[in-house]
This record gives sequence, C-alpha cells and structure tokens, in this order.
Amino acid sequence: MTTYTICIFTENTIGLLNRITIIFTRRRINIESLTVSETERKGISRFTIVIKHDSREFVEKLVRQIRKIVEVLAVFGYLNEDIVYNEIALFKIETPLGGKPLDIETVNKEHKAWVKYWGLDYVVIEKTGSEEEIFAFFEYVKPYGILEFVRSGRIAVGKTEQGLVEYLPEAEWEYYL
Amino acid sequence: METTAPAYITPTQATTDVEMPKLISGSQALMRCLVAEGVETIFGYPGGAIMPVYDALYDFQDRINHILVRHEQGAAHAAEGYARITGRAGVCLVTSGPGATNLVTGIADALIDSTPMVCLVGQVGKKLLGTDAFQETDVIGVTMPISKWNYQITDADEVPAIIAKAFYIAQSGRPGPVVIDMTKNAQLELMTKPFVYEKCKSIISYRPRIVPKQEQIAAAAALINKAKRPYLFVGHGVSIANAEAELMEFVDKTGIPVAVTLLGQSAFPTDHPLYVGWLGMHGNYGTNVLTDQCDVVIAIGMRFDDRVTGDTTKYIKQAKVIHIDVDPSEIDKIIKADAPVVGDAKAALEALLPLVHANDHTVWRNEFRKYDAIEYETITAPELAPTTEKIKMAEVISMLSDKTNGEAILVSDVGQHQMMAARYYKFRKPHSVVTSGGLGTMGFALPAAFGAKVGAPDREVVAIIGDGCFQMTLQELGTIVQNKLPVKAIILNNNFLGMVRQWQQLFHDRRYSFVELQNPDFITIARGFGMDGHTCNHREELNASLDTLLASDKPYLLEVIVEKEENVFPMVPAGASVADIRLS
Repeated sequence: MTTYTICIFTENTIGLLNRITIIFTRRRINIESLTVSETERKGISRFTIVIKHDSREFVEKLVRQIRKIVEVLAVFGYLNEDIVYNEIALFKIETPLGGKPLDIETVNKEHKAWVKYWGLDYVVIEKTGSEEEIFAFFEYVKPYGILEFVRSGRIAVGKTEQGLVEYLPEAEWEYYL
Repeated sequence: METTAPAYITPTQATTDVEMPKLISGSQALMRCLVAEGVETIFGYPGGAIMPVYDALYDFQDRINHILVRHEQGAAHAAEGYARITGRAGVCLVTSGPGATNLVTGIADALIDSTPMVCLVGQVGKKLLGTDAFQETDVIGVTMPISKWNYQITDADEVPAIIAKAFYIAQSGRPGPVVIDMTKNAQLELMTKPFVYEKCKSIISYRPRIVPKQEQIAAAAALINKAKRPYLFVGHGVSIANAEAELMEFVDKTGIPVAVTLLGQSAFPTDHPLYVGWLGMHGNYGTNVLTDQCDVVIAIGMRFDDRVTGDTTKYIKQAKVIHIDVDPSEIDKIIKADAPVVGDAKAALEALLPLVHANDHTVWRNEFRKYDAIEYETITAPELAPTTEKIKMAEVISMLSDKTNGEAILVSDVGQHQMMAARYYKFRKPHSVVTSGGLGTMGFALPAAFGAKVGAPDREVVAIIGDGCFQMTLQELGTIVQNKLPVKAIILNNNFLGMVRQWQQLFHDRRYSFVELQNPDFITIARGFGMDGHTCNHREELNASLDTLLASDKPYLLEVIVEKEENVFPMVPAGASVADIRLS
C-alpha cells in the first residue's frame, strides 16, 4: 500500500466536504486523514486528504472524478516524496504525585515536542512531525499513561516551485492577507 | 454544443418588461428566469412547498406551457425525453419531500446518460430546515451523488444568479441534471434589489474543454493515417454535440467502418455503406467479433460501458485507442487511451478532418460482411420470417421501421423489446433514439415519449414498451390524453419480464423466479384514460394494426401479443469476452 496525499482546491461553499467524500465512499476508499482550511486566497478552501492504495492508476482516476465536481478548482495527487508535510498531535499525559517524572529534556531535544499546558496532575504536550515521528513519540510516552491523544491529520505543500496562482490563472481572487 | 436560448428571447427583454413591479418575489423571479432561458415547457406536479411558484406560474401560462404529470417520475423522464430530442435542458417542477424523492430515478438516469435537466424542487421554509418538518427531505443530500450540480436557494435574491448557473451547468460540457432546492420563504419573499437576469457564461471552477488541444488532435490523426484496419465507435456524445454532419464528412473522407453504441444509434445512418452495426451485449455479430481484429479504435463520445466491452482484460488489446470525450474523467477510466482527445465531438472532428488522409478501407470493411451473413442466416432471417404461431418482436420493429422509413423518433423502454428495437429499427435520421441506456430504467419510455413529442411536435414519436415496463408508469396515459399529445405506443406483450426470464433460462437452469406476469387488459385501461387502442394477436393483422397506429392523429396504444419465450441473440454473456458472443 502506498500513501497518497490528495490536495483539492475548491470554492468555499456549503456541502462541498460531503460532495468530495462521497466519491471516496462510492469507491470504498478509507480516508486516513482529512483537513480543510481557507487558503491564501479568500473564498478558496484547501482539502488535504490522505489515503492508502496499491494502485496508482486507481488514484489517478479518483483525482479525475474529484476534479469533475463543479466547485473544485484543482486537484493534485502526491506521493510522499513530492511534498513537504506535517501533522500536529496533542498528548495529555498523566503526571500524578509520586509517579515517574517525565524527562522533559528527552521530550524537547529528542522528540522536538513541547509542553503546552501544565495541569495539576497532567501535562499537555504538542508534537509536530510526520506520522512516524508522532507515533515514535507516542511509544515513548505510552508508559506514563496517555489520557487523551489527538492528531490533526496531514497538511502538505507541493515541492514544485509553482504556487496556487499558476494553477488558477484565471482566478481573480483577492489575496487573503 | 448549442446551449443558448432561442434568439428571440434576450435577457434585456426580460428585464425591461414594462409591467414588472420594482421588486418581485422569488417565485416571480424564477418565472422570469425561465422565460429568459427560453424555457417553453415545464413538466411538473404541485404541492405544499412549491405553491408560491405555482401561483406565479398562473400569470405565465401564456409564455410557459406546464404539463401536469401523474407522478413525479413521469416528469423526470418526460424532461429527459424532451432534452434528448431538443438538446436543451428539460425542466421539472415539483414539491418537497415525496415530490422530490419521486424524481430521484429520473435524475440518476439523466446523469448516467448525460441528459441536460433542471429540476426545481420546493423545500420547507429556511427556519424549518433540519426540524423534520412536514414533507421535509434532505434533497441536497439525496441528490448529491446523482446530479451534476445541486444548490439550495434560501434567499429570493439568489434566484437569478443560481438559475442562470443551473442552466449553464446542465447544458454545457458533458450535460447532466441539476437540482435546485428552493425554500418556501425564498419563493415568497420579495427580492431586495431589482430583478436583473444575466445568462451565465462561465464559472471559474468549471471550465469544460470544448476545442481539443492541437497536439492531441495531431497524435490522433497520425494514428488514424497509419492505421490499416481502423474502426470507429460512435456514442451518444456525437448526438449531444450535434456532430452528425462532421462525422459523416470524416467517415466519407477516411473510409473507416462505423459501429454505434446503444445511445449512439441514429448519429450515423444505418443505410450508409460504412455502417457496420451496433456494439455490445446484444449488438451485431461481426461488429463485436471484429473489435479483436482492428488495429486502431477511434472512440467518439462513448464511455466503454461494460455492456459494450464485456471482459475488459480481453477487449481491443491489439489495437491502439483514440478516445475522444468532452469529459476528461472518461479517458483511461475503463480502456487505456493511446491518444486521448479531450473535447467536444464536433470540435474534435472538425479539427481532425484537415489532418486525416483520404483513404479506402473496403477490404477491411467487407470482412464484416461474412459475419453479417452468418448472423442473418442464424438469427435475423428466422426472426423476420418465423414459422411460429405467435408474432415475434423483430417482425413488429422491422415492419415499423419500413413503415416509418426509419425516420421516427423511437423511444424504447428497458428489456428484450429495447434490444429488439435497437436491432431492427433502421435509423436514418439524427436525434431519433431515446432510451434509458446507462441506468436501464424500466418505465422510462411512456413519459419520455410524450416529452420527446413535446420537444418535436412535427415528428412521429413511437414508444416500444414491454408489458412489465408499461405497468411501472402507465398512469402517464392520463398526461398524454389531457395534453392531446399524439404519442404512438406499442406494447410488446409476452406476459413475462422477458430479459430476466432469458437470463434465468440461459444462466440459471430455467428456474423462472418471479418473472411471469398476470397482466391487465391494457386496451381497456387505455380506453379508461380516453385513449384509443387495440390488440393485435395474429401475424396477418400486424400490417393493418401498424397502419392504424401510425394513421391516428391522436395518441394510440397498440398491444401486440408476441411469442412468450423468445430470446435476444446475439448475446455476449455478462463478464465474458466479446469474442465469446453467442448466436444461440
């Protein structure tokens, strides 16, 4: 199984998430992660959807089906080496009185993770990285007792020098900022 | 393709109407939009959540012809029939909840058969959305996977821009159904600004490519010019693009044999010397078998449906494939294209024409003839001159074809009679085939036939319907009679769900599981609706029966009692290779 990251640029309208995901449902593809946010251009959303599949051809067909949706401006299917990608994860970890103290130096230096919040008997640690790095950290903190764990899902930008503007030459959208 | 409204209706006219009050309601705005789009006919059924629109329609009866159907499914199929014949979007107007869900089959049918349709659907008021209000259904959710586009209007001010967008999307690129769900408050409330209608000409995120890229055309032309045994597959896309003349010119120049798909029929005349037949499961013998012998396939506006290809792992493996389609997602979907051409069939053929060499492929074309002879001897001749007591479907269609000179609009339902209609009707005129191809919707023909008649009142419209299919939408006889639409309907009655029975016979050991019908007296039913008709049970009466049917200037129903257990051959069994086509 190969991991594919599908980036979809759309107009920001109601129901579009549904319109996109039913294309996956109909073809029985499980979505590993999905994030949506507005892009550098006002009114344009960017979906980042991660799937695993063993047929590149299948993913190419999927991309063309997504492109067919009226509100979709552009769709790109990427392999991991084509993109710079990351996720963010939050870990809520038990730190009871008298328990094994957390080695903050290892957390910071080895795992590049940071404590975001100190509770009375727990801490919330933020870890940014690839899925593998996050799971490596997961294994590290597991013995301390994980109360809650959440991942954002992958976000990614392409490694080509092109920006969105090259793909949408006719767009007259104002820059977001 | 032609997507503009008739020239006599211009947006300016619609906006400078002297009687127009300064601010109008969403419903009134909708009516003005429809007039501006050149809509002449609406197929609809009123109900609670669409009452304001029907009230506005009351004042537009002189400009918009509303046809009251008997069931919303009838409205959808009638709109499809209308759209297939005119090339313009068929319009349905129905209420919320059950009104909308009854359209669903027709919407799905229109999507898979690329038929432009605009469905205007009432919805409960905005404040009631999501509260399980009376007749509230999530129509946007329900129709999302089966429409080309859908949108919920919740504000009267949105009406002009959204309706313009709806017609543009439905009729451009690869056409399809659009659903507009309109909340009751948006129908009732006044717009806050003066009504202005501007036709939609482009959408930033939707830019169908009509004119193909020159490099794709050049690559395709190079393959065509080198081909020794080229073979042209003509699909529905040719009709949709109105490319029949360009196709004819292309074929006459290149000398390439032409086969058609079910919906591609009538895009190329059957009496042309290069016409070699119909492709697919029940298509012609040589037409299918010789797909294995060609070296280049030129597929235009067709999508390699499984009913055409059979087992794709064994389909046209030896050939280079040129695939011309306006929908880029069709390229490589089923069959890998060596030379893809994304564009409209008309534009693509126009671009190809100067680049292809004049050629003659008579030897290759004549290879089809020996298969034709075998097919004629084993299937066609016995079907046309049967020794059975009962009439065979083939006789009826063939006689009808002769009597109408192959120039009628033939609307067929789904099943054995549909395949027989496709086999034996000799189409000679473009835009003459209306049938449910992709979805295979039983009950399609009767409503689609009157929709087609509304779209082409000067043409003879004949519906070929099975006894099973007829009972799915027979209430539309009422619509046909009330609107005085002289549709000619022929029921080919074998008292069976014939195609299912055929499969049970061939592949399930004759275990006939729920396929025999105890039918009503169809002619009495027709008379009950005020429609004339008669039953033909004997071969010697068939000629006169068809004459009576065709001579009638009113709607007419002819029931022909046909052979009970007849099979359609040739047949490529589902999932088998086209080379394994069976003649018996």
